[in-house]
Amino acid sequence: MRLEKCWFCSSTIYPGHGMMYVRNDAKIFRFCRSKCHKNFKMKRNPRKVKWTKIYRKLHGKELPQDTTFELERKRNRPERYDRNVVEDTVKAMKKISETRVEREAQTLANRMRGKKTQQRREDLAELQQGIHLVKAPTALLEEPSLTLPKEKMKVKVSVEQESKAMES
Amino acid sequence: MRPQTYSNVADNSGARESMRIRVPGASNRQYASIGDMIVAVVREAVPNMPPKGSEVVRAVIARTRKGLNRDNGMAIRFDDNAAVAIDREGNPKGTRVFGPVARESRECHFAKTVSSAPEVLR
Repeated sequence: MRLEKCWFCSSTIYPGHGMMYVRNDAKIFRFCRSKCHKNFKMKRNPRKVKWTKIYRKLHGKELPQDTTFELERKRNRPERYDRNVVEDTVKAMKKISETRVEREAQTLANRMRGKKTQQRREDLAELQQGIHLVKAPTALLEEPSLTLPKEKMKVKVSVEQESKAMES
Repeated sequence: MRPQTYSNVADNSGARESMRIRVPGASNRQYASIGDMIVAVVREAVPNMPPKGSEVVRAVIARTRKGLNRDNGMAIRFDDNAAVAIDREGNPKGTRVFGPVARESRECHFAKTVSSAPEVLR
């Protein structure tokens, strides 16, 4: 029994799933589900299809190169069965997948770094622009407790607030 | 494969395309699959070679677009429908076979055909 990779999306194909297409030049394409097969028939390039692993790796969304992947290479020569080797392999597999998960989480964290502050800044801008949809500007003036959240760049915010006060 | 199905002939026996007539030995058997022997008529042949158009031959089905379902759950589909011309004993008529062949043909006593195939799918 062998766990194959889907040609299109690179997910693992477990036994009992998927389909294998053999071209006349004897090239084999394995698909994990009909979604991938249909995309293949439409002649789509997996490198351009956003939800595939290939696209994600190519566009830096996921861990591209790592030693943990090299350990999972396909080996065609069958190994002589040795109980100790099998035991160690199983233990190693667990450790490797843990490491890989950690590294992938790290890559994600790196990619999303600075996102929170940027999001906050964008939200603040939206709030300032659109607060009149929620509360009338005069109400903001009358009730001092209702203030827009202050940003670290205090100068910018206070000037805008002042101009709003002056307008109304 | 149903009767009247055209299939490519995947060897160098001289026929190019054949049309399935029957499955020998059965009364009204409709479908022949990979590894089945069929009776076919040569529809198109390479010029100046033994099988002429409208000659009746026996063949083994090597590939079908419908494909097979393997025991491990994997379904296999091929690119075309193809058969290999054989004689009554099951020996291939040509000397070479083109394209991949499914392992199932071996199980049906067509070992010789399978062994001359460039690629056998396990």
